[in-house]
Amino acid sequence: MKVPISWLKEYVAIDMSAAELADRLALTGTEVERVLHVGLPVDDGNLDRFVVGRVKKKGAHPNADKLTLCEVEVGDGKVEQIVCGAKNFKEGDRTAVCLPGGTLPDGRKLEAAVIRGVESRGMMCSESELGLSSESAGIMILPEDAPVGTRLVDYIPFSDEVLELEITPNRPDCLSVYGIAREVAAITGAALAPEPTQDVEPRGGDSIEELITITVDDGELCPRYGARLIAGVRVAPSPTWLKARIVAAGMRPVNNVVDITNYVMWTLGEPMHAFDLAKIAGPSLNARRAGKGEKITTIDGTERKLDQNMLVIADATKPTAIAGIMGGAGSEVSDETTDILLEAANFNGPNVMKTEMALGLRSESSTRFEKGLDAEVVPKALAMASRMMVELCSGRLVPGEYDIYAEPRSEQAIHLREEKVTSLLGIVVPGAEIEAILSRLDFESHREGDSLHVTVPSFRADVEREVDLIEEIVRVFGYELIPPTLPSDVRVMGGLSPYQSAERKIALALTAAGINEAITYTFIAPDFADRLRLADDDSRRQVVKLANPLSIDQSVIRTLMLPSLLMSVATNLSMRNPDVNIFELGRTYHTVAGEKLADERRTVAGCLCGSLRGESWMHAGRETDYFTGKGIVEAVFSSVKGSFSVERCDEPFLHPGKSAYVVIDGKRAGYMGEVHPLVLEAFDIDKPVVAFEILEDALIASSAGIVIFEDLLTFPASFQDIAVVVDEQTAAEEIIRVVREAGAPLLRGARVFDTYTGDQVGEGKKSIALGLEFRSPERTLTDEDVDGARAAILAALGERLGATLRG
Amino acid sequence: MSAMKKYKDLVEELRSYEGLASMFAEAAAGIDAAGDSEAIEAARVAHLGRKSKLSQLLRSIPELPNEEKPVVGKYGNKARAALEQALADRKKEIEGVQLEHRLATEQVDITLPGEPFPRGHLHIINQTLWEIEDIFAGLGYRIAEGPEVESDYYNFTALNTPEGHPARSSHDTFFVDGKEDVLLRTHTSPVQIRLMEKEEPPIYAIMPGRVYRRDSDATHTPMFHQIEGLAIDEHITMADLKGTLETFMRAIFGADRVIRLRPHFFPFTEPSVEMDVSCMICGGAGCRSCKNSGWLEILGAGMVDPNVFGFVDYDPDLVQGFAFGMGVERIAMLKHGMTDLRMFYDNDLRFIKQF
Repeated sequence: MKVPISWLKEYVAIDMSAAELADRLALTGTEVERVLHVGLPVDDGNLDRFVVGRVKKKGAHPNADKLTLCEVEVGDGKVEQIVCGAKNFKEGDRTAVCLPGGTLPDGRKLEAAVIRGVESRGMMCSESELGLSSESAGIMILPEDAPVGTRLVDYIPFSDEVLELEITPNRPDCLSVYGIAREVAAITGAALAPEPTQDVEPRGGDSIEELITITVDDGELCPRYGARLIAGVRVAPSPTWLKARIVAAGMRPVNNVVDITNYVMWTLGEPMHAFDLAKIAGPSLNARRAGKGEKITTIDGTERKLDQNMLVIADATKPTAIAGIMGGAGSEVSDETTDILLEAANFNGPNVMKTEMALGLRSESSTRFEKGLDAEVVPKALAMASRMMVELCSGRLVPGEYDIYAEPRSEQAIHLREEKVTSLLGIVVPGAEIEAILSRLDFESHREGDSLHVTVPSFRADVEREVDLIEEIVRVFGYELIPPTLPSDVRVMGGLSPYQSAERKIALALTAAGINEAITYTFIAPDFADRLRLADDDSRRQVVKLANPLSIDQSVIRTLMLPSLLMSVATNLSMRNPDVNIFELGRTYHTVAGEKLADERRTVAGCLCGSLRGESWMHAGRETDYFTGKGIVEAVFSSVKGSFSVERCDEPFLHPGKSAYVVIDGKRAGYMGEVHPLVLEAFDIDKPVVAFEILEDALIASSAGIVIFEDLLTFPASFQDIAVVVDEQTAAEEIIRVVREAGAPLLRGARVFDTYTGDQVGEGKKSIALGLEFRSPERTLTDEDVDGARAAILAALGERLGATLRG
Repeated sequence: MSAMKKYKDLVEELRSYEGLASMFAEAAAGIDAAGDSEAIEAARVAHLGRKSKLSQLLRSIPELPNEEKPVVGKYGNKARAALEQALADRKKEIEGVQLEHRLATEQVDITLPGEPFPRGHLHIINQTLWEIEDIFAGLGYRIAEGPEVESDYYNFTALNTPEGHPARSSHDTFFVDGKEDVLLRTHTSPVQIRLMEKEEPPIYAIMPGRVYRRDSDATHTPMFHQIEGLAIDEHITMADLKGTLETFMRAIFGADRVIRLRPHFFPFTEPSVEMDVSCMICGGAGCRSCKNSGWLEILGAGMVDPNVFGFVDYDPDLVQGFAFGMGVERIAMLKHGMTDLRMFYDNDLRFIKQF
């Protein structure tokens, strides 16, 4: 909402600078985006260089047919010689003159110049040069009573400071200059002028009822409909002062009729519409819902399909305006228009909003109506617009008016307890202060003991409850007076939950391992499933899809973390980041039959590409492989004292021989492994990538919980190494399980420290070397103890896996 | 000091037996002359070994005349102890010199980089989130979370933003295809509702998470992070809100920050405010970051609207409280000086590893 200061000053006596006012507004709830300057620049006495001039003599330019050579009076008896390219004036006309040294609104600086051999000392300005319109056909001709030599700005207000305000949706009353004036008066104590809504006397014979029939079919969507007729108007450009105001408010001047409706809207906040009476069939108007399949071409030239949820203003045959949003091209005011039907109405806010969203069409009008306007403004807007049409368009107000208002507003009163003010704000606002603030905001109040009975003005429909009044009080009273305190009786404990702590441990374990955290968009391109080679019936193709994505690349929500991370890997590789090791703590989203919302699974996932340690002068980097990934997953589990086992994996996006499911308590909880070469290709990655993805719920649930102390210190352990030869297909995990079972209870540790395949063990065989640790918490083990356990282990290995001790 | 000098007095004593003094002098000179550990060992064998003159003399005591026995025993053993000490001293001396020599020659280029131990970096958004979480944990707040694919009811209606409410149009909501009332949450506030539905006051919680709005440029990304705060109890006041926010701002932006509250509008709080903090870049004097105002807009807050309590069956006459919400990216940007929001989600490691 742009509010020119000069306009504002018509209604409220401000005695502070625009900057000070902006501060005061900001601290009382009206956000000021910025303070702009429109029109002529003010610096360095620039305004003195623009004056009202009078063409004393208009003659031919000696060297150019298309130019004229003029003598122009510029005040104090001074006459300047000016070369002009326009033709639309005659001797005696008054016009806007820019004297040498003047700077135009667009920043151009004018100097005395020689034009085709003749000196020109100044310029007669067009409206577009002065920033009053986007194009103009010649210089600006001012009325005959314009005083020659006066500064132009003293005659036309078009060098102005403009407050650009952001009005919160609860305050549609502030979407108007008068509304802001009222607010300014309340927060500064300045005097407020009455509303500029003086009416004008009707003239002539026939009344409006004889000339047009107006009805309201849907009183719910149209609580009030007011209309007047202005006959015999002359549609023409607006006077300069009006154009200047329209421009300063950020709108575009059209013609006097349209500019007046916009001016009234800007002044009072009530959007108006002007119909060309001659183009209304019937003539009759009816506020009704659109019929199925009805269409309208709006004044922006677009044909729009309507439906039964939309309110239209229809003439005898068709919709001729979308109520509160935009008029139809069919009844638009044109240069030939003579009789105008002026509409000021009140429309249902939520319905206007629904309609504008359905149509994708918003206007200055609809952005006001959508917030719910004060129906009491309707007659005021009609009065103000009628007067201006009579004064500026040579029109005549036809006697009578329509004002269809089935259920007039009832008075809204609120009971306000002083004690509630104190308990909510944490500070005592004195009763007298409360009453004074309410009164300045146009709320009437009278005291009833410790309470106030408060009557709400019609333009403050946002104030419905005690708490709304408290807000009004505190915003004027001043938040700076509220002391900072902390809640005094906190009786609950704060902090992270065990789950949240575990999540942090996971993140820290991963960073400790050298992996960087990424945060990727959760929406991705729908072809991710194909790129990951998911089967047609893979449930992970059942994605949550966006109805209105920004682009196809961000149109579905991921069911796997992998595609997001692979895209980040690709981006990093393209940026020549050599080693890309990233993880993310995120969610995947799965549709569930019969459920409205998605199943959101917290997941920790990562991609390793290149080397974890990086190359240095000390050693070459080691490329990551399946075992790097497994080591990382082991570190993650270890960070939460969890454990897992593995199972061979058939994920279509992984290397079938170098990948595994992560299994917790017999259930698959994720995967790890090398990414399938075809998948890498599909993501434009030309280096091997190891990926993992684990469900956090299962991971954290696998935790062993509180560690119970075990005495590892009192009695020494005995260590033994064995190497056994087994079939090449025998899994290391299987060997360790047999060893652990056979070695119990003395065997407390078994770890693989070497593997070998080759000539020494023969084809189809492999050797695995294990370091065994024997220990008892009760005593020091004897050689016999250890030898016995070792023999049992070897026997079991031989019996169950056909293993032989390697000689 | 040489052994001969050191044991000068002993040598005088040794003169009381024929030959002992010269024997000692010879041995001491041999020890003094030993230049490395092998020479030391050779000197030990020569002068203290089984075949040394001194050992032979001591072994021959039983055969000596009775009056000589005590003299030889006393002075011979004295000489032996002294030579053993001299040998140990010399050995230590030589080792010292050797060590010094070794250390003097073992010099590395101390300016070469150290062995690269891998260290990953947490994303700066997460670092910022953790910092905020820890501050509020210290103030007694828990951390609550909720779904990102959310129903219209929790995202809007129960937050006092019914259908047709003008505040809805500013949210640029992503809707889920095929489900009219399902959307990607536009803020973390729906978690408030879910929390209050589930639990009775007192509630002190913050609610971090990803949120989504249909907007993309240097200052908007379609996904970003918010953190929401909620305190509901019997006597929570606007003054408590102000104090809590001030404490938080000082913890995160420095002890000399001041805040101010400006009235604002949110459907789910009443009264509603926006909070500014004095600019930490210029200290409040005015700079580009604060658009010369000296203040930076940080977050929105207010007292929970009684209508919201209505949706979760709380009695607004028995409990009241405040809520606040902020963009995590904004905090991170102000703290670390980034200007383009999109960098957070490019995940370029050159960016991530800075923090």
